[in-house]
Amino acid sequence: MVYPLLKIESVSKIYPGNVLALNNVNINIDDNEIIAILGSSGSGKSTLIRTILGLTALNYGNIFFRNNNYKDKNYKMIRNSVATIYQNFNLVTRSSIIKNIILGDIAKVSSWRVLFNLWPKETINKAIDIIEEVGLNNIDCNKRVENLSGGQQQRVGIARALISAPDIILADEPVSNLDPQTARDILRLIRETAKKNKISVLCSLHQVDFAKNFADRIIGMKEGNILFDKPAKKILKFDLNKLYK
Amino acid sequence: MLANNKKLKPPFNYKTIVLVLLIFFIFIFSFQRVGMPDIVDRLYEVTLDVIGLKETSKISEGLSRISDEMWPPAIETKKDINLILNFDASNLPFYSYIENQKVQLYETNIETLELESREEEVLFLVEPFGYLKVVIIKIIESIEIAFWASFIALIISIPLAFYSAKNYTPNRIVYYLSRSIVSGLRAIPELISVLFMVLAFGFGPAAGIMALGLHSAGFLGKFFAEDIENADKGPQEALQALGSSRWRIIKEAVLPQIMPQYIAYILYILDRNLRMATVIGLVGGGGIGQELKGRFDLFEYGHVTTIIIVIFIVVFIFDQISAKLRNKLIGNSS
Repeated sequence: MVYPLLKIESVSKIYPGNVLALNNVNINIDDNEIIAILGSSGSGKSTLIRTILGLTALNYGNIFFRNNNYKDKNYKMIRNSVATIYQNFNLVTRSSIIKNIILGDIAKVSSWRVLFNLWPKETINKAIDIIEEVGLNNIDCNKRVENLSGGQQQRVGIARALISAPDIILADEPVSNLDPQTARDILRLIRETAKKNKISVLCSLHQVDFAKNFADRIIGMKEGNILFDKPAKKILKFDLNKLYK
Repeated sequence: MLANNKKLKPPFNYKTIVLVLLIFFIFIFSFQRVGMPDIVDRLYEVTLDVIGLKETSKISEGLSRISDEMWPPAIETKKDINLILNFDASNLPFYSYIENQKVQLYETNIETLELESREEEVLFLVEPFGYLKVVIIKIIESIEIAFWASFIALIISIPLAFYSAKNYTPNRIVYYLSRSIVSGLRAIPELISVLFMVLAFGFGPAAGIMALGLHSAGFLGKFFAEDIENADKGPQEALQALGSSRWRIIKEAVLPQIMPQYIAYILYILDRNLRMATVIGLVGGGGIGQELKGRFDLFEYGHVTTIIIVIFIVVFIFDQISAKLRNKLIGNSS
């Protein structure tokens, strides 16, 4: 039997103060699928991504990663197969570009190598290949991340996600801090590299036109509920009106 | 209720007036108690003295007792060669010479019971920079004390900082324990703790190093812990989501962020320890302070001047170096 890559089953999350962030959410994600979650602020997009990463504990329901239940607290296996791209990039800004990219592989490198900064040759080579893939090849890779523009920083973030060869990339509003043109470029880059490397993507966005161009499938969320879950081409004006009413 | 919301708060009310009056009375009361009127009196007197409206003043009287002897600073040493053990005239110390000097000797004549003076020629070994050499050796000892104290502070403070940072402490007991150690170390001034350290380690540099080291460990521990708590959470969360263990997160996401501040703190502590290392010698902590105290007690004020000048120069130079280093290490250039 073929299990879905990620199965989110009746998941609910209640924050202190009775704030219902996720209400009985069911999503199946297959391999090679590019999904956008649409919704306004506070609709539960970020909470969903955080629960998948195991950074926020869920109150009800189950999440299965290739039929392994999260309840077993086996986060290590999941985190090894999941990579994340963040809204605020979450890079170590005082470290170099290449160092930040290598950090994507940190869990797979032995302790003494981390301690003495002796990163394996193959990791470094992989990082250099990825730098080219994300279009940073004309920048000195020893430059500190804090000296890069927002778009360039997000490219480093994507590179960090790619180096661990994940099965799925979770992107939490990856372009909301970027200008529209850079945002389009970044989304195209995520889509192209994901397709090329056969990676699934779950990306939260709040611009409808970006989502339509970017994703194969769009999930609409409002106040913790899923309003629709359809292929991108079948999204109707009616759906969007419901979402942003 | 709405009207109340729209009213601007008055800039002061009766509470402000009471507070100002209270502060004023405390000020007056304390002014008398600590002898501030005396300071004002004496400063007034010395001003008159300086501009020539008064013959003398208490301040100039007090200081004139030593001011004549303080200049010139004593740089050379002069020793009677008869008092030097195994003196070898053919093998003099570097840059020194023998001087023949007439010395007045006083002796009591046993028969007449009168004091008689006679002149005698005595050979002296003169080292023109002998005392300066002694002072430099002593100040180097002070610098060494400062370095070792800062090193000990660093070693002690790093684990303390991680245990007393809310986000990395293993549990609450450890957190409160290390927090109280950090504030305890900071609470005892080094001039007091060195008295106990002298009992434990004996007179000399060891006592000074321990006293300064423990005190500055309290400072560094507090500063470091606050920086760890305030470090950007984003990269830490990113590494956590990548399956990284705690110490790897500390090394790769916390340390690079806080390193510039750490270096600034360490340089500050080094600077402070150097200044304090010159002082703790006064109470037995070794270094230049011990020499200073000895000369002051022997009324050798020329020597005291030399010591003060050397301390000033060393502290000044170190201040410059640490400012340059700080700029270089923390500057935003990549």
